[in-house]
Amino acid sequence: MHSWTQRLLAAATTATLLLLAACVAASALDAFHVPAVQAQAHVTKINRFHKQINGNDKVTLTFNVSADLESLFTWNTKQVFVFLTAEYENAKNALNQVSLWDRIVPDKDHAKLQVEVKSKYPLIDQGSSLRGRKVQLVLHWHIMPNAGVMIRGKMPLSEFNLPDAYTS
Amino acid sequence: MDWQGQKSAEMLMQVLLVASAVAAFLVGYAMADFQLMLLVYAGGVVLTALVTVPNWPFFNRHPLKWLDPAEADRHPRPIVISAAALTAVKKKIGKNK
Repeated sequence: MHSWTQRLLAAATTATLLLLAACVAASALDAFHVPAVQAQAHVTKINRFHKQINGNDKVTLTFNVSADLESLFTWNTKQVFVFLTAEYENAKNALNQVSLWDRIVPDKDHAKLQVEVKSKYPLIDQGSSLRGRKVQLVLHWHIMPNAGVMIRGKMPLSEFNLPDAYTS
Repeated sequence: MDWQGQKSAEMLMQVLLVASAVAAFLVGYAMADFQLMLLVYAGGVVLTALVTVPNWPFFNRHPLKWLDPAEADRHPRPIVISAAALTAVKKKIGKNK
C-alpha cells in the first residue's frame, strides 16, 4: 500500500521538521551577534515634584534621548522594544525601576532615535523617598526575533539628583 | 507506482527538501531577509510535492513481472494426502484386484 496521500503526508512531515531546523539555526546564529548600542539620555528639566495625596512622591521630567539601535537588528529580528527606566536605591528596595519612556522600533530604518520627551510616564515612588535621591537613567531593550527566544539588554546612561525639596 | 518508483520517490523527496532548506537558509542569510527564506523554502516544498506526490510515469519504469497463468497450469501443485486417507485408498485398490 503506497498512495499519493501517504507521499504527501511524508513530504509535509519532513518539510515541517526541516523548517524547524532552519528556524533553530537562524536563532542560534543570533547568539554570536554582539550589538554595539550607542545612546545618551539627559534630564533637562524637572517639571513638577510633589507628594501625592496618597503619600507617594511623584516627579514629571523632561529629558532628551538619543540612541542608535541599528546594531541590534539582525536578519532574524522582528522588532525591538526599547524603554528608559529611572533606577534608584532606597531603604525599601535595593533596586527600584520606573519606566519613563518606551517605544517599539519596527525596523532598522527607524532605529536612530532623537527625541525630547516631556514625561511620557511619571516617576512615582512607592512611598516618599525621592527627595535628594540619586537616580540613574538606564536604557533597556528587548529584541523580539522572528524565530527563537527574546533577547534582553540594557545600558546605564546618566545620573541625576532630584532636588531636596518639592517644587509645589 | 512500482517498488523502484517508491524508493526513488522517497529519496527524491528527502533530497529535494533538504536542498531547498539549505538553499533557503543561505539565501535568507545572505540577503538578511527572514521572509525571503520562508518564501524560498515554501517554493522548494511546493516543487518537491509536485515532483514526488503524483504517480508520474517516471516512477513506473520497473513493473513487477508476474508468471504467466499458463505456467501455473503446466506445474500443478502436488496434492497432499494424509496417512489415513492413503491406507483407505490402498485398501480400495486391493479390493478391486
